[in-house]
Formats: sequence, structure tokens, C-alpha cells
Amino acid sequence: MSGPGRSVRLVELVGSTRLGEVFKRKVRQRRWGVTLVTLGVAAIGLWLFSDILGSTGWSPIKVLELAVFSLLFTTLSFGFTQAFVGFLVLAEGHEPLKITNTLDDHTPLASTAVVMPVFNEDVSTVFGNIRTLYRSLQNRGELETFEFYILSDSTLPERLVEEELAWADLCRQTNGFGRIHYRRRKVPVNRKSGNIADFCRRWGHRHRYMVVLDADSIMTGDSVSSLVRLMEVNPRAGIIQTMPKLVGSETLFGRIQQFASRLYSPLFAAGLNYWQQGAGNYWGHNAIIRMSPFLASCSLPVLPGREPLGGRILSHDFVEAALMRDAGWEVWFAYDLEGSYEGLPPNLTEYIKRDRRWAQGNLQHVWFLLAERVKPISRLHLIQGILAYSSAPILVLFVCLGGIQAALDHFRGHVSTIPLASAVVLALLTLLLLFGPKCLSLLHLFSRPDLLRRFGGPKRALAGVIMETLFSILTAPLLVWFHTRFVLRNIAGQKVVWNTQTRISEAGPGWIQALREYWPVPVAGILFGLLAWWISPLYLLWLTPLLLGLWLAIPIAQLSGRSGILRSLFQTPEEIDPPRELSKSEPLQLRAGDQFVHAVLDPFYNAIHVALQRRRTVRTPELSEHVGGLADKLFREGPAALTAEEKRALLSDGPAVAALHTLIWRTPAEKMNPFWSDALRVYRNERLVPA
Amino acid sequence: MAISPEYLGLLRASISSSPEWKQAWERTNDYLDALRVPADLERELLLLTSFERAIARKRKEPSISATELAFDEAQKALDATLGDLISAKVPADRRSVEERVRLYLMQPTQNSVLSPRNRLSNDVLEALREVRLEAVPRLQQAAIMPRPFVLHTAGERLAAVAGKFSLFGSNRILAWLLGLCLVGLLIYMSL
Repeated sequence: MSGPGRSVRLVELVGSTRLGEVFKRKVRQRRWGVTLVTLGVAAIGLWLFSDILGSTGWSPIKVLELAVFSLLFTTLSFGFTQAFVGFLVLAEGHEPLKITNTLDDHTPLASTAVVMPVFNEDVSTVFGNIRTLYRSLQNRGELETFEFYILSDSTLPERLVEEELAWADLCRQTNGFGRIHYRRRKVPVNRKSGNIADFCRRWGHRHRYMVVLDADSIMTGDSVSSLVRLMEVNPRAGIIQTMPKLVGSETLFGRIQQFASRLYSPLFAAGLNYWQQGAGNYWGHNAIIRMSPFLASCSLPVLPGREPLGGRILSHDFVEAALMRDAGWEVWFAYDLEGSYEGLPPNLTEYIKRDRRWAQGNLQHVWFLLAERVKPISRLHLIQGILAYSSAPILVLFVCLGGIQAALDHFRGHVSTIPLASAVVLALLTLLLLFGPKCLSLLHLFSRPDLLRRFGGPKRALAGVIMETLFSILTAPLLVWFHTRFVLRNIAGQKVVWNTQTRISEAGPGWIQALREYWPVPVAGILFGLLAWWISPLYLLWLTPLLLGLWLAIPIAQLSGRSGILRSLFQTPEEIDPPRELSKSEPLQLRAGDQFVHAVLDPFYNAIHVALQRRRTVRTPELSEHVGGLADKLFREGPAALTAEEKRALLSDGPAVAALHTLIWRTPAEKMNPFWSDALRVYRNERLVPA
Repeated sequence: MAISPEYLGLLRASISSSPEWKQAWERTNDYLDALRVPADLERELLLLTSFERAIARKRKEPSISATELAFDEAQKALDATLGDLISAKVPADRRSVEERVRLYLMQPTQNSVLSPRNRLSNDVLEALREVRLEAVPRLQQAAIMPRPFVLHTAGERLAAVAGKFSLFGSNRILAWLLGLCLVGLLIYMSL
């Protein structure tokens, strides 16, 4: 047997005793291979750098510099190795050890919950994405085994009203009552992971699998059905993660990220799967989870100490994958499964805000490196997550140590006599590690004319890569600046506020906003520049690529958030020829304006909202008095008189909202607050606008 | 229903001649607009019969405003028309809400339930009466217990050491001083 047939057989038999050993040996060989290449390349870099440092004698600063360098260079080397292996896998055209080899379209489906935790998200995006998947499964005739859960932790009164109506409208459009569910938690304990845990507690035994989506996740029916089938034929798989493609961006920043991810990710993904196999990771969404082991083993512990580094876990995904692995289940990466998409922050500011949350979440994972019963590969995933942010302060430390050493040499009158050959080779090696994956990705792209055409052709793809590289050179120092601040703040005990992520492709910050948010960055860049120049003009020249991004922070932040710039570049196959699921749109029938006011006045909003409230069997006099007081205040003074909390309290009392609805409609204009009489006119033959 | 055009004309004229009734007319119409009831003959009839009763009540209860009376009468007329759509068991204070829920559900297909031409079949009526808007399915609870977090021996020692130094991290001035001392020491040792 050869080719794909052999690979299918191999993966199928992985669970059997006979071939289990063969598989394990093969995986072990792969892991050793990747480790040796990584360490080999890192050792060359270390040797060259120690040659350079040692040429003028050793000092404690240099020893520390070498230690820091070894950490950074090994990380870089590992990334390159992974991309290189991925390139070879894709070039070979066939990977015998991948989970998708076991896919059989005839495998029966099993009961699956599609869950989407949301927190004050854009309603049309959330419900639109659910509808896309619903319709896609419906078209395939495979809807029967699926149920959809929108798990809301929303706290904005207007947003929760809008969500209720969007749910009703979606169910009405699709005839999805009883299949599309909407649950709102009144107290969003433990954020997203608490939201999922609450779902598991309530309906954990109802389904065999759970597909987790983010608010901006779009999955096709084909991909979700395939995930369920893969689970069914791989009974040891606890989680299967897909590789979501970034889509839907309109801004320059978003489109560059989209382009880069679409072009470079396949190599890294293939390389990642090559060595990790069934010891993969979970990214929190666009993945399928087997409910029974998840319920039994993946409940998150509370970490020692207080937030930001202790307490409740923020980034739950890596930890859940580690717990699943510890319980003896496999975590696979279906990197080549099509039909999995997600959005991304539209501008640099939003991207950095998201990173702030992720940085804190990933730093908490340090505890798991010190914990018992965490598998080595899971520890490696956790280390990678931690280094994604902590490598920024490590890089800053490296630059500072270099600066101090340069200053000492300069002021002691030492002439720098570094071995030129070592310096040139090290520079070339570093460039290779940094830009090699991009070149390999281009090579891979140019070897596939059909794919190249879907990236806009050779000229555009090449120009896109060049511009993206320049952009990443400019933005990298900015990200280093912010990541360093986040990490240091977390270590100093400052925690982040959990804000809603802006996902829609709106315009980026204006010049004033960019100036207000980024002014410390160029100021610091100029100060560093002056310091470097004072030490030595040559040192300033060496630092210029790093400082350039800091000096230009404000224009970069402003321009990258604009749409309409360089539209002909950064095209992706999904942008040029969007799949049916991405291009379809059935707008929700929601009223524009203040949704809280609609909950009181609009007869349908009011009825749906009231019908969805749990009827209180016992009403304490205090509660009735409190809600009655709020309703009276709202009637007399209008919505501006109530706080968000008061609005929520009032909304949670169905009979009070229903009574208020009737009261306002039947009261003559002169006997009530003018706000209400004006608001009522809005309903006069108003046409509904699509949301 | 057979009402003479002359009578309807008279009723309309009397409503538009009084500012109070005119306001009541506008408000009730706005409500029907909000309910997306099409502006057809059935709607006109529902309004006029409601106003007829409201005007009659006004004579007996002059302290109640025309808007209140007209709205109440229109609501009663709606209840009478839509009463078939809901179960008789629905409590009185909940009927209006349940009627509106059913109107909402039927809206895309059934443009005007007020019209006798659009009478619903018995099956549909029966199904509508059984409707109970529920956003979540029945609970099938699972007990999930967080696993205790256990550090290995080296981890415990490291955590203890980190705990001792946490004072420096939580105080910004101390952290800066410590950092500068370390840098100073490093420079001194490298001289």
C-alpha cells in the first residue's frame, strides 16, 4: 500500500495495540528530529554570538546577554524549524499522520451542541454567524443532530434586549425554535470559561460533542459535520482543533494580518501537526470537544494567589487541552480542514487591547509549569504561550544589556574589534530565521499556480509580501513596547479590565485619538535614540530599525486603521472569491435606535422580552417596591434617569415591563415625560431597517 | 359587520373635530402601526368600533382621558380578535403579551390576522395555543468539580520564594529601586 491509502490505514490503526507502537516510534522520531534541528541551529547561533562577545573579553553583562540571546534564538530557531518542516510536508503533498486522513463521509453523526459564548458583542455578527452554520447544515440535510446555544454574558441593557429579539427573529426566519437556544447569565462569573462551564453544568449530558465558536467564528456545515465524524472514528480524540482562516477585514491593518496569516500559516500549521500529533493544543474556538472527558477532567482549578497572576484562570483553552491530555485523551489539530473562519481586530489599538487580556491570561500559565501531572508537550505549549508575550521584555533586556556593554566599551575607550566573519554569518542566520518562513511560503505559493491566482497573481502576491514585511518591521517594536508594559504591569500586580472586543471592521482611531493613545511611544523612542547617539552614533545606527517603529507609532496606528488603502494588495482567496457561507447575508429584522426603549415601547420587543423572563413565584415586598420605584422613575424622568444596573433590574421583572408598556401607550402626551411622547412617534409607520 | 358609511363618516368627523379625541386617534393608530397591522378596512373598523365604545364610556367616566379610553377599547377589540390564538388558561394580565408573541411569530407569513379572509385553520390555531416561547431546553445537569491544583515539590519551593519577593513587585518604587540596584551591580561587576 502506498500514498494516501497507506496513511489512512496507519492513522486508523493507531489505536490498535499492534500499530500503536509503530505510531509512537514514528512520532518520537519526528519530535527528536525537530528538537535536534532546533537545537542545532540555536547552537550555531550561540557559538557565533559567544565568539563575537568573547572577542573583547567576558563580563557578567556579556554572560547574561548570552543567556538571554540563547533563549530568544532558540525560540526563533524553533519557529523556523516548524515552518521548514511544514514546507517539506506541503511540498511532499501528502502527510501520512494527520487526523483528517481518517475522515469518512458515511460515518453517522452524533448529538452535538454548537455553543457561542458572547459578551456585549455585535448582535448581527453573532446571530448572522450562527445562521450561516445553521443554513449550511440545513442545506446538507444534517441539521437533525445539532443544537445551537448562544450563551450570553452581556451586561449592557440595550444589548441583551437586542440579543433576545435577534434570537426570536433568527428562530422565526429559520424555523429554529427548539433548536437554536439563547441563555443569558445574570452574573457573568469567571467570564468565558465560566460561561462554558455553566453550559456544561446545565446541558452537559444532553450532547456527545460540543463545537465551540467565538462571536466572530464562521464555520461551514461541511467542516462541523467533518469534525463530528472525525470524533466518531477517533474514539481517543478529546479535542480536535481546526485552523481558522482570518476573513472579513476591511482596514489596512486587518487585511495585512489576513493576508499574512493566509499565506504563512499553512506552513506553520503543517509543521506543528508534524511533531505534536495527538498532543496538540486548543485555541478556545473553532474546535470540537468530547463532552464526557471534558466534564470529568477539564474543570478549571483556581490558581494559588490573587489576580493578575493567580486566582481564576483567564485563558482557559491551553489549560483545558493540558487537562484533557493528562486524563489520557488526545488533542488533534485538523489543520487542513476547510471551512473554518474567524474575524480579527480591525486596527492596531484593538489588537493591542486584545493582547493585553491574552498576555495576562498566558502569564497565569506559569503556575502550570510548576504543577504536577502536566505532560511535557503540554508544558511546551504553555511555554510557547507565555513566551508569546514575555519574549518582549526579554528582547528589551537583551537590547538594554547590549546598550550598557556598548556604553561601557565606549567610555573606557575600547575599540570594538568584533570578528567580522562571525558577525556577518550570525546576521545572515538571523535574517534566515526571521524571513525564511516568508520566503518558503512564497516558494510554496509560486509552486501552485492555481493558489497563486487566488492571491491576485504573482506581482500582487510578491508586492504584498514585501509590504507586509515592511509593515511587520514597523509594528514589531510597537508590539514589543506594549507587550513589555503588559508583562511588567502584570508582574507588578495590575490586572486588566475585561472589555468587549471590537470585531467589526470599522474605521480605526482618528489622529487625535492615536496621538492620545500612542504619544508616550515616540517620546520614549526619541529618548532612547538620544541615549544611543550619546553612547555611540554607530550604536544608534544599529538600533534604528527598532526605533523607527517607535518614532512612527502615531501615523502607523492611524493609517493602519483606515480602509481603502492599498486595496489592490493583500488579497486572499477568501476575499477574491468568498465561499458561499461568507458572502450570504440575510439581515435580521431589528429596529434601529435604543433597544432598551424598544423593550418598553415596541409591542413585539416588549412581548418577546416579557415572555422570556422567568415568572417569579414569590415576590418579596421589598423587590416589588424596588422595581415599582424604578418603573415609576423611568416613566417620570425617561431612560436617562436610570443607570445600567437599574435598567437591568427593571428588565428582569417581566410583569413590570409589560405594565410599563401599557401605561406609556395609554397615557396622554401632556401627562407624561416628553421623551416618551416623542419616542412613541418613532413607531408611526416606521419601516424596519436591516441590522 | 355592517355599519353604514354615513355613520362612519360622522364618527370620523367627530373624532377629528376634538383635539383630545384626535390625539387619542393618533396614539391608537401609532400602536397599530407598531404592531404592524396593515392599514386596511379591518383595521379601520376595529378603530372606529373601539372609538365608538370609548366615546360612549367618556360620557359616563369624564375624568378618564380619551387616549386611555380609546387605547383600552382598542386593546379589548384586539383581545377579542386574537383571543383564539391563545389558550384560555393564560391569566388575564398575561394575555396581551401572549397575543403579541403569536402575532410576531405569524408576521412573516400571515400579514393580517384581523382580516376574516385570513382565518387560520384549526390545526394552526391549535399549534399556536400550545406555543410557549422558551429560549433554553430542559436541563440535563452534569456535576463538574474543579480539580485541585497541586504543585510539584520544586514548584512549591519556587512559589514560596516568589511569594517572599512579591513585596518588591507590588510596590512600584521598591521595584524600580531593586531594578536599578541590580543594573548598578551588574555594571560594577563588569567594569
